[in-house]
Amino acid sequence: MKKSFAGLFVAGALLAMMATGCTSKPSPAELKQLEDLKAEVSSLQREIAAKESEKAALMKAIADKAAQLAQCEKDKALVQERLKGM
Amino acid sequence: MKVMNRVILVAALALYVSSYAAAQEMTKEEWQKQMTELTATRNDLKSKLTALQTEIDKLKKEDADKAAALKKCNDEVMALVGAEAAAERTFVAKLDEVDAKINELSRLSNQDLWARKGEVDDVQKALDEVKKNKMNALPKYFDRIKEQQNRIDALRKTLETAQLQMTYTVGTWAKDRDCLWNIAKKPKIYDNAFLWPKIWQGNKGQIKNPDVIKKGQVLTIPAKGDLTKEEKSAARSYWSKKTAAAVPSAPAKK
Repeated sequence: MKKSFAGLFVAGALLAMMATGCTSKPSPAELKQLEDLKAEVSSLQREIAAKESEKAALMKAIADKAAQLAQCEKDKALVQERLKGM
Repeated sequence: MKVMNRVILVAALALYVSSYAAAQEMTKEEWQKQMTELTATRNDLKSKLTALQTEIDKLKKEDADKAAALKKCNDEVMALVGAEAAAERTFVAKLDEVDAKINELSRLSNQDLWARKGEVDDVQKALDEVKKNKMNALPKYFDRIKEQQNRIDALRKTLETAQLQMTYTVGTWAKDRDCLWNIAKKPKIYDNAFLWPKIWQGNKGQIKNPDVIKKGQVLTIPAKGDLTKEEKSAARSYWSKKTAAAVPSAPAKK
């Protein structure tokens, strides 16, 4: 009984080895290619995050200037009005 | 036999472990799949980055345009009031002087302020000069000048209150030359002798005859201003009695 059990065990293990041994694997060069690609994707993600921040800062600066410009136009009209009264 | 069985068992276990480890390594298909996915992601990111850069370039231009428009607008406003840098500095210096004077006067007690009431007029004159300058129309100065005027007005109100609360203790004619005429003439009182009826009418309870005031009498000094109808009428009555008596004399000698 014990013998047949051990035999089955060995047979199973051999089959598993055969199965994995037949599967093709990427070469070291291909693995490096994959790693380089992952690094490139990470770098691009960081770059995009930085650009998003830059875009947000620019949009804020533009909004501030637009508000200042609107105030300046109001001030100009006010000054013209006051000068008429002087 | 037992030993043989054990050896077989251990060998089988080792085989399983090694086959399991081999199964954990990446297969060519998996590598291909990851490469395909990552390549697609990279391409998407690159497109996104390019689009973002285009957007940023556009925003930078817009920012520069807005900055230029703002500068133009500010220049136009300054041109309206003919403000040049040097003139503006002088103008601001004058505003600062007015501020400093108002601050100084605001810190005084009512009595001290009354004694220096002429300086309130001076600072008002200085502010009036500032108001004539076109730069007064600029919002950044307009509100400040308005505030200064409010503070001078507050000083004037304080002066009125000080005047309302003001009293004068009569001295002697021999030493102080105190009579209603001379008291009214004092710079700290009205600085105007013709306002003496104001003191008389303000102290009707204790002055029956304006020619007679006594040493030590504490007179209330009413607020400075034009004579009221009653005060004018009282003064006319006084002078007509004097004329009738034909004895010209100054009022209230002691």
